[in-house]
Amino acid sequence: MSGINTSTALWYASRATGVVALLLMTAVVLLGLLVTRQGRLPGLPGFAVTGLHRNLSLIAVVFVALHVLTAIADGYVNIPLTAAVVPLASPYERLWIGLGAVSLDISIAVIVTSLVRRHLSRGLWRAVHLLAYASWPVAWLHSITSATDVRHGALLVLSVGCAVVVVAGVGWRLAAAASDLPRAERVAHLMSAVHHPMSAMHQRAADRTSRP
Amino acid sequence: MTTATQDMSAGDTATSLPRLLPRGGQLAEDWHTHTARHGRLPYRERPGDLVRDLNAAGLTGRGGAAFPVARKLSAVLDAAAKRRRAPVVVANGAESEPASDKDATLLWLAPHLVLDGLQLMAEAAGAQAAILYFHTDRRNDVGRRLRQAVAERAAVVADRVAVQLAEAPPRFLSGQETALISHLAGGPAIPTFVPPRITERGLDGAPTLVQNVETLAHVALIARHGPAWFRQVGTKTEPGSMLCTIRRADGAVRITEVPLGMPLKSLIASPDGQSLGPDRALLVGGYHGTWVPAAAASRLTLDNHSLGAIGARVGAGILVTPPPDRCGLVETAAVVRYLALESAGQCGPCLNGLPRIAAGLTELATGRPRRQTQADIERWAGQVTGRGACHHPDGTARFVRSALITFAAEVDRHNQGRCSGTNKKPFLPIPHGSARTEEDWL
Repeated sequence: MSGINTSTALWYASRATGVVALLLMTAVVLLGLLVTRQGRLPGLPGFAVTGLHRNLSLIAVVFVALHVLTAIADGYVNIPLTAAVVPLASPYERLWIGLGAVSLDISIAVIVTSLVRRHLSRGLWRAVHLLAYASWPVAWLHSITSATDVRHGALLVLSVGCAVVVVAGVGWRLAAAASDLPRAERVAHLMSAVHHPMSAMHQRAADRTSRP
Repeated sequence: MTTATQDMSAGDTATSLPRLLPRGGQLAEDWHTHTARHGRLPYRERPGDLVRDLNAAGLTGRGGAAFPVARKLSAVLDAAAKRRRAPVVVANGAESEPASDKDATLLWLAPHLVLDGLQLMAEAAGAQAAILYFHTDRRNDVGRRLRQAVAERAAVVADRVAVQLAEAPPRFLSGQETALISHLAGGPAIPTFVPPRITERGLDGAPTLVQNVETLAHVALIARHGPAWFRQVGTKTEPGSMLCTIRRADGAVRITEVPLGMPLKSLIASPDGQSLGPDRALLVGGYHGTWVPAAAASRLTLDNHSLGAIGARVGAGILVTPPPDRCGLVETAAVVRYLALESAGQCGPCLNGLPRIAAGLTELATGRPRRQTQADIERWAGQVTGRGACHHPDGTARFVRSALITFAAEVDRHNQGRCSGTNKKPFLPIPHGSARTEEDWL
């Protein structure tokens, strides 16, 4: 493998920003899963988890933008500007670059609707936001298919690691939702729990409500 | 009628009360007796007039929040003009405070005055739809009376906007504005997050004006007699009269119309004029209200300016004096247990906090409290305040805090394993049956 020089700098920059963007998007998805359950991170108040989710997503956009622009600017392979957002518009790695465009389009929709959320109905915002669950796998597929260097070594371990934590996170989210009581039954359930002082339920409820 | 209100109304017919309820008796007014007393409803043709009159009258919402009626109407008119959508007007008769019975009584005795107010409000707002929302789990069959009243009006073509009747589920929160909208839209009667304000985006997205039924009855009279007439009773800053539910220690319940600014002392005196002993307590404003020591109450008047000084509010005009053989802590614990069970279960602080507070109060009331119980209750009350979609946790916390202050001596007694209550039968009314499934909220 050759070193970094004027002809390979853009190529390296594109790969590096792509890897960072994947890591950031993985973190954003995990934080998003945590936000949906009002989860906390150690040492952070509840609102900071939401803030981190939002701010990391904006930083991820910056890295995706750099990743796309450097790939287009790199003259070694021919990727037109339109291919960044229009799927299948790239002569080079037509399908795999197309996946990247799909993921980018979805991400833009998710972020723009979040920025103007005040002006949208909750239902519309949420419907678009749920697309994030489709955006991440497409982005992951794009990274593993269009970059030959991700298919072995440290980068392969990294990519597979990202996939494992996202799958585990979604599994945790679904399991948590499945164990939820229906809304109307929660109050009576908690009431009976706290009104029996000797039961273990009482202690658990007390622990939970010490920070209601 | 009561001695108190008759004293106030003696002589001058212009300021005589009651204005809303039928005079001399509990006979309900039908269309004939209603029009004989009040005349036909005065449509304005020019909607702006009523806003001006209501503003001059200084009428505030009688559902408890005391929000200026003219300002709410203006907000709906603005939203309707801006978004080019015809508004919806809702008469809210779902008084959820179990200790209150004034709205049900008004709907039972003078339904046409409320329906007049609803028509005038619909005209002023330019509404195409009007809804009357009420509870059915009351002593009287309010639903039958309202259907009858609507039919009477249809026969003489009194209404310009068709009125739809809607029944509220028997839940404490069903009269809360956003819960009401959710229910009318076919969902459960649970509060939703604000914004959007329902004056901008309410029922089916239309600007929605929700007014308490008593408020609308006042509107019907202000439209007839003008703002100066309305201001002949009440105080300068809080004009007019209001319906009150007064529950005396002997168990008597009376619904009476009193001018704002009336001394509490005269309202809670027993029939023989005996005032409340200084060691007793008075509940002002219902289960989201405040316990007030009788000694303090004797200096207060029924208006938010006076009550605000001790952190209380007029609310929906509920005044309760439990008898001396009841323990204030036992009464409070029973009510808070009910309030906790009436949580919609959607906001964490309310869902987790209220049952804990209720359990702590039960511990305090039954006389075997742990050393930290009172401090726990106070801490939890602080933690739930201001953190719900609606004010259910805030109101409950206010009620609990005032109990711990007003019954401080009783708390000490309970900490020593004693209780001054000799009668364990609950005095404050508590509806039985709590929500178990989603159906119970529909």
